[in-house]
Amino acid sequence: MIDRTDREGRTDRLGRPVRAENYTASRPPGWQGQPGGCGIASCISLKGEKIGGDRIARMLTIMEERENGLGAGYACYGLFPERHDQYCLQFFFDDEEGKCNVENFLDGRLDVLHDERVFTRDRSTISPPYPIVWRYFANVPNAREWRGERDLGEEDYMVEIVQHINEKIPEAFCVSSGKDMAVFKGNGYSYEIAELYDLARYSGTMWLSHSRFPTNSPAWWAGAHPLSLLDWGVCHNGEITSYGVNRKLVEMNGYKCTVLTDTEVVTYLWDLLVRRNQLPIEVAAFAMAPSTFQEIALLPPAERRLAEWLRITYKEAFLNGPFSIIVGRSQPNISLIALADRKKLRPMIAGLSPDEGVAYCASEESAIRIVEPDARTWAPGAGNPFIAVAGKGIVRRGTEPSFQGVNL
Amino acid sequence: MKDVCKPKGHSHECDCGKECFNVVGDRAVIDLRLSPTQPMHYTTLNCVMRKAMRQGCLSIELKGAMGQRYLASTASIPGLYIAVHGTPGNDLGAFLNGPTIEVFGNAQDMTGNTMNSGRIIVHGNAWDVTGLAARGGQILVQGDTGYRVGIHMKEFGGSRPTMVIGGTAKDYLGEYMAGGTILVLGLGGGAPVGRSLGAGMHGGRIFVRGKVSPEQLGPGAAISPLNADDEKEVRTLLEEFRKAFGIDVQDDLNDYVKVAPSSSRPFSGYYDKTNV
Repeated sequence: MIDRTDREGRTDRLGRPVRAENYTASRPPGWQGQPGGCGIASCISLKGEKIGGDRIARMLTIMEERENGLGAGYACYGLFPERHDQYCLQFFFDDEEGKCNVENFLDGRLDVLHDERVFTRDRSTISPPYPIVWRYFANVPNAREWRGERDLGEEDYMVEIVQHINEKIPEAFCVSSGKDMAVFKGNGYSYEIAELYDLARYSGTMWLSHSRFPTNSPAWWAGAHPLSLLDWGVCHNGEITSYGVNRKLVEMNGYKCTVLTDTEVVTYLWDLLVRRNQLPIEVAAFAMAPSTFQEIALLPPAERRLAEWLRITYKEAFLNGPFSIIVGRSQPNISLIALADRKKLRPMIAGLSPDEGVAYCASEESAIRIVEPDARTWAPGAGNPFIAVAGKGIVRRGTEPSFQGVNL
Repeated sequence: MKDVCKPKGHSHECDCGKECFNVVGDRAVIDLRLSPTQPMHYTTLNCVMRKAMRQGCLSIELKGAMGQRYLASTASIPGLYIAVHGTPGNDLGAFLNGPTIEVFGNAQDMTGNTMNSGRIIVHGNAWDVTGLAARGGQILVQGDTGYRVGIHMKEFGGSRPTMVIGGTAKDYLGEYMAGGTILVLGLGGGAPVGRSLGAGMHGGRIFVRGKVSPEQLGPGAAISPLNADDEKEVRTLLEEFRKAFGIDVQDDLNDYVKVAPSSSRPFSGYYDKTNV
């Protein structure tokens, strides 16, 4: 029997006692699922250079008032230059049995080339139990079959594998499954998670991060952000009140909701709209945070047709409610997307370093200033995506008129 | 774990006995840069500031502010001057009652939340929800602001809040406004105001230098001509803006649009159609 209660004497940063029950890879009992809401921060090297993990940890921890110690996480992109063509599957296991379950399942389904324990410190102020964190580097075999289907694409096959594990395999949870990226998260304060994984030992081209203040979903390790599928990583501040409708859309398209939070659905929506339906990133953003029909009526004719078509075709992809999200992907290029809802009910500030080498997005300006005191900052607009691509620069500042220069 | 001063019970000051600030005459200097990674926590900072005020300091200088929230909230000493270098956090000067705060940098969200009197001068941008529910005093912003600025400002008796924005404001400026004055100058280009301007306003006035199209107006707001009192008020605010930032703005009042409530009860009959 695992002891799930907090250690005696655990306190928050003001010295107040904290007591909670802790879950790792197993879902908390009786949990049916509802949306939750936080501090987000991200940085991307526009020149494709390396950024140390200590930098993103400083960005996130300065916004400590936005979290309450019930979840934080980081995603690093451009992390494995020597294995950038292989999928990196990173797992939480409750115990050795969970690890065996997954390894038995993967046997023959993926070509596992290497596996290793993900470094975590032995001691932490976070209350036990801790999951075993393990990663596997794997290729998708050419001769693959999933439930009788032999012509599934590599990525669709990987989605099936990951979702099957998260839905069916006990005591195990796959937290990230993309190429050249990994997610480091858990149920603690932002600084606790950074210490636990010793983030300073990693460096990558792009980092996403999230500190959690769960409003209406419980705190458990696998439920912390970033929520990831393939190379998509999503950090989210706010609530998606249209969760039911959005969930139906992704479930009808074959995704399985296993974390039971609204952010998970946002991750699947990006995968569905951009990877599978091949919408340009900014068009997918306009589908998720669309203008009102009154605003659309004022657009020039060609843009108006596109906006109306999007609203009608992707009406179930419309994310209603207050949110700001940071989204990352590594394929085909490492890209950072930041988007706030169409009334900007959650904060989002963008910044650029004086040498124009690093771009930032965060909930608060202080998160940018702590690492880049002389950054140039601006506020992306409501429903207006900020997009930056490593090697290319800032593609969209988020202040341009909607649909300007957008073609399908 | 941070070394944090903890005020006891309902007291707002700690009794740790540590020297946490330097006082020269009636001027206190507080350096918040305790270490490169951990600036002073806002609980400690506000505790230190209250100590400085109690000791009779009339000027407080904060160095290296980095997202500390609730700076100078509820400060009630009329002649007090607070200089903030760096980036103050959300709710700067919440419930401010008398002092002047000058920020040399950008302010975050909710600056001057429900302030009662005093002044907040920002030499930079002040992002979303600046001046919400202000009941008096003045906010001057040199640069841009964000969404929902000046929502539910109100005036009563001799208290009338005023706000001047040198740059631009986004959607929902002056939403549910019940009193006070907002002046947007739109310096630096771009549309001076966004959409849903003055949505549901039933008091107060918004002056915009530049164009406002009817589609930008929210329900309950209407464009109206400037009267003699308005012209006088705009000139006074422009002079205050010039004094604060050294920026001269042309005061040809033909360039200004006034947005005021179309009625004192914009949503009368909205929910109950029989009650008009």
